[in-house]
Amino acid sequence: MFHFILLFTVLDALLAVTWGDSSTDSYWLLRSKSKLVDPEGVLESWSPRAHICSWNGVTCSDHEEAYVTGLNLSASRLSGSIPLEFWNLISLQILDLSLNFLGGSISPEIGHLQNLRTLLLYSNNISGKIPPEVGLLKKLQVLRVGDNMLSGEIPASIGNLTELRVLGLAYCGLNGSIPAEIGNLKNLASLDLQQNSLSGPIPTEIHGCKELQNFAASNNKLDGEITTSIGKLKLLQILNLANNSLSGLIPTEISHLTNLYYLNLLGNRLNGEIPLELNNLFELQELDLSSNNLSGSINLFNIQLQYLQVLVLSDNALTGSIPRNFCSKNSKLQQLFLAENKLSGGFPLQLLNCSSLQQLDLSNNNFEGEIPPSIDKFEKLTDLLLNNNSFIGIIPPEIGNISNLENLYLFDNMITGSIPVEIGRLQSLSTLYLYDSLMSGNIPIELTNCTSLTAIDFFGNHFSGSIPETIGKLKNLVLLQLRQNDLSGPIPPSLGYCKKLQQLALADNKLSGVLPSTFRFLSQLSTMTLYNNSFQGPLPQSLSFLRKLKIINFSHNKFSGTIFPLTASNSLTALDLTNNSFSGTIPARLAVSKNLRRLRLANNHLTGNIPSELGLLTELTFLDLSFNLFTGEVPSQLSSCRKLQHLLLNNNQFTGRMPSWLGSLQELGELDLSSNNFHGHMPAELGNCSRLLKLSLHTNNLSGDIPKEIGELTSLNVLNLQTNNLSGSIPPTIQQCEKLYELRLSQNFFTGPIPSEIGRLTELQVILDLSRNLLSGEIPSSLGNLLKLERLNLSSNRLKGELPASLGKLTSLDMLNLSNNHLQGELPSAFSKFPLSSFLGNDKLCGPPLSSCMDSAGHEKNRLSKTAVVCIIVAIVFTSTVLCSVMIYIMLRIWCNWRKVSISNSSEGAKDEQFKREEEKWIYGETKKRKGGYWRVINSMALVPSLSQDHVSSSCIFHVKMDTK
Amino acid sequence: MAIRTLVQVAAAAVVVILLNTLAPTNANVEGRLARNFPLGDALYALRRSVKDPDNVLESWDPTLVDPCTWFHVTCDGDNRVTRLDLGNAKLSGSLVPELGKLERLQYLELYMNNLVGSIPEEVGGLKSLVSLDLYHNNLTGAIPDSLSKLSNLKFLRLNTNRLTGRIPRQLTKLRNLKILDVSNNDLCGTIPTLGSFSKFSEESFRNNPRLEGPELMGFVRYDTGRCT
Repeated sequence: MFHFILLFTVLDALLAVTWGDSSTDSYWLLRSKSKLVDPEGVLESWSPRAHICSWNGVTCSDHEEAYVTGLNLSASRLSGSIPLEFWNLISLQILDLSLNFLGGSISPEIGHLQNLRTLLLYSNNISGKIPPEVGLLKKLQVLRVGDNMLSGEIPASIGNLTELRVLGLAYCGLNGSIPAEIGNLKNLASLDLQQNSLSGPIPTEIHGCKELQNFAASNNKLDGEITTSIGKLKLLQILNLANNSLSGLIPTEISHLTNLYYLNLLGNRLNGEIPLELNNLFELQELDLSSNNLSGSINLFNIQLQYLQVLVLSDNALTGSIPRNFCSKNSKLQQLFLAENKLSGGFPLQLLNCSSLQQLDLSNNNFEGEIPPSIDKFEKLTDLLLNNNSFIGIIPPEIGNISNLENLYLFDNMITGSIPVEIGRLQSLSTLYLYDSLMSGNIPIELTNCTSLTAIDFFGNHFSGSIPETIGKLKNLVLLQLRQNDLSGPIPPSLGYCKKLQQLALADNKLSGVLPSTFRFLSQLSTMTLYNNSFQGPLPQSLSFLRKLKIINFSHNKFSGTIFPLTASNSLTALDLTNNSFSGTIPARLAVSKNLRRLRLANNHLTGNIPSELGLLTELTFLDLSFNLFTGEVPSQLSSCRKLQHLLLNNNQFTGRMPSWLGSLQELGELDLSSNNFHGHMPAELGNCSRLLKLSLHTNNLSGDIPKEIGELTSLNVLNLQTNNLSGSIPPTIQQCEKLYELRLSQNFFTGPIPSEIGRLTELQVILDLSRNLLSGEIPSSLGNLLKLERLNLSSNRLKGELPASLGKLTSLDMLNLSNNHLQGELPSAFSKFPLSSFLGNDKLCGPPLSSCMDSAGHEKNRLSKTAVVCIIVAIVFTSTVLCSVMIYIMLRIWCNWRKVSISNSSEGAKDEQFKREEEKWIYGETKKRKGGYWRVINSMALVPSLSQDHVSSSCIFHVKMDTK
Repeated sequence: MAIRTLVQVAAAAVVVILLNTLAPTNANVEGRLARNFPLGDALYALRRSVKDPDNVLESWDPTLVDPCTWFHVTCDGDNRVTRLDLGNAKLSGSLVPELGKLERLQYLELYMNNLVGSIPEEVGGLKSLVSLDLYHNNLTGAIPDSLSKLSNLKFLRLNTNRLTGRIPRQLTKLRNLKILDVSNNDLCGTIPTLGSFSKFSEESFRNNPRLEGPELMGFVRYDTGRCT
């Protein structure tokens, strides 16, 4: 007998057998042992010396021959590929390799295991497809291969496994559709297909799975409508189709599933109303229909759905209010989420009967009216989210009775009044968000009894008074956001004891005083924003203990002294100290914050050189050192800051040649070196900064030509080179800067004609200022194309010839200055609206507002005879003498009557003055220090004699007239 | 029995997943940024509404304190936006009503893009606006009546779009209006002649095939004929 079996065994081994026994099984198992990595030694007992049935994980049949019927190596930390040898254990009824690290694939040879009833391969690293041969395992009852890296489609042959009760294929990468053959699985109780990439509809045939209790296919790409045949799965308890692309209505047939206790359809494209029939699902405990396009009103009733614990309808388009008789007396409802709908009406008082509620989210709806004082009927409430509605009135003091409250979100409403002191009784309160409301009054000191608080956000209210002295009791505080209120007084030193604080935002208040030295304990602090307050004094040295600071914004305060204490962190990303009174130098150790992106120190009293170490800040995008007292040359190391987008060094005392390495900063959008002492040429390399939008180099000592490469700055909006020593002609390439809306080249030594190409800059709008140069030739007629131009200044050049008629097309012009040139001829009629001063200093210009061209000598077209002229003159003299005599007589009479009354300035005089001020802007004189601004001019008496004399008081005029008499 | 427990395990797992999605979300991040940043909010809404193939809006970082360091945005001394310069920037998409919040905006330069949709009525809230340059886009719909509230408006250039409807009569109230260009659209009805409109020439209205010419004052109704 033994020999016979042995012979058979060998034959089997060689011929890939259809029957097994213990000796071949041990042969296969020992071979497979050698292929598995077994760090825990679970396979140690697998040895030829011991009987196979004593091996760990092996179960044998009761027969003498002892076939291996079960193999359980679950959770044994095994790795390596699944040994092919396993597929030869043909007597196997149970194979459990779950929860290991096994790789490889499921081989088609699995089809040999004809006796297999349970196959558990879930939670491994198995890849490849599910072989169709699985369909050969006719006796299979449990098949769980999920949580692997399986791909491909679910084989249709799976429909042959008619004994199957559990099918688990979740958490893989399976695609294709759910095979219709699944409907053949008449015994199937659990079908889990979650988290794959399955597409297509849920097959109608699913109704064949009459025993189905659990159907979970969430997080796939299933589409189409939910098949109505699903209503035939009478035993279904769990239905989870969340996060698919299912569309259409919720089939009313779902209401036939009277055993259902869990229904989840969230994250689909379902529309229409919630079917009223869902109220027939008496067993329902959890219902989630959120994130669909459901409309209509909420017509679900807790009265009927008595076991309901969780109801989620958020993120739909539901309207109306909550049904009046929604709550049942013995409500078990714990979580009610109705956020992000269009629900309206007052606070739904009917909900107060659901006293079991723990979490209530009504946020992002259109609720209005007051929050009812009876809100404390929610005894068990931990989370109350009413934010983003239109609630008004106060926070009822009764809120202090909801003793379990942890999270209270009331932001973005129109809540008024102050914070009730009763809030101090909420010992569990962790998050208090009241921002964007209309609240006022002091922050009650009782708030600091809420020692569980981790986050306070009161942004954008009108809280006044000081920050409570005892704020330091809030030892768990992580976020303190009080920005944009009317808080005043100093920061209480106890704030330093909120040691877990990570974000401190006190900006936009009226806080004052110095920073307390207790801040040294805020070692977790990463963001500190104090801008727009009145803090003052030097920074405490102890701030250098704050090593985790990332964002500091102290701008617009009155801080003084050195900035050194703020440079201890090596993780700064933004440091903004704009507009304070800081002095001293920039500490070189700032460069250890390798991720610093924004460094803004403008408007302080900082001195010294820019430390060359700043060149190590390769992430820097924004460097603003303007309006300080910096000196020396700009270190060339800054050329390593390749990501710089804004470089603002204006209004300092920097010296040296304008650096050519600026051309390597190709991300630059804004470069301002104005009002310094830079000299040398404008580097041609600047043409590489093709993203430049604003280039301001005015008020320096730059000399030489504008490089023709200026034309490569095709994005440029603003170019200001005024008040330098630049010379040569204006390069015609400037026409390529098509987006220029502001161009200022005044107060240089430019020569030659105005290039006609400037007429191509049709977006010029704010100003074209070429004044105070040595430009000659005629005004090109192309300037008439600048249809958007609002201000044009060509004054104080050597321009000659007639004005081109095309200038009359400049209908957008508000201000014009052509004075002090050698222009001649008639002004375009459209220019008559401009004041005289726009044209003065051009001897040969005529036409309104200047004298009529007919009067101009040499240009008279209708010559009058000498006698006619004499007659006219005599007539004029005569009439004016008569008129004067009459006027003097009248005035004398008036004067005699009023002589004892002091004479005040007439209102006309005041008007004249106002007019004159407007004029001053446009008539230029000499300004000694020509900083930044344009057209900063002083009235020149010589240019407007008539006006300056009008300015004299009326009594003086009278004396003058008297004298003439 | 085993199956029953399995089902329960599965159910438990499902519940855990569900609860994760239920947990009250910490205040939505984008919302929080926006609220910190009311002016930037208006501009950021624009950024989200348009396609920007050249990334000209790349610097529009909503986490900054104000939008004044964003490129193409100019502010005054109070850090309020006065200019928006996005002419010829290859933007497509539509204008957003939030733009109306920029109370100190003087120059809205969005010409020569591929903007579609209508001019939001809220643009009428830009009470400091001096120049509204939306020319050369693909804007449709009517010229909103609300533009008549822009009492400082000097320059209104809406030419070369696909605007329809009548020229709102209320625009004649714009006393400071110097330049009007609505040419190359599909406007209809008659051209107002009162107020500032008295100085605009035919040039301002040309190439609107359905536009019927200057309105006749007196007994004749100004808008005979159909115009929608």
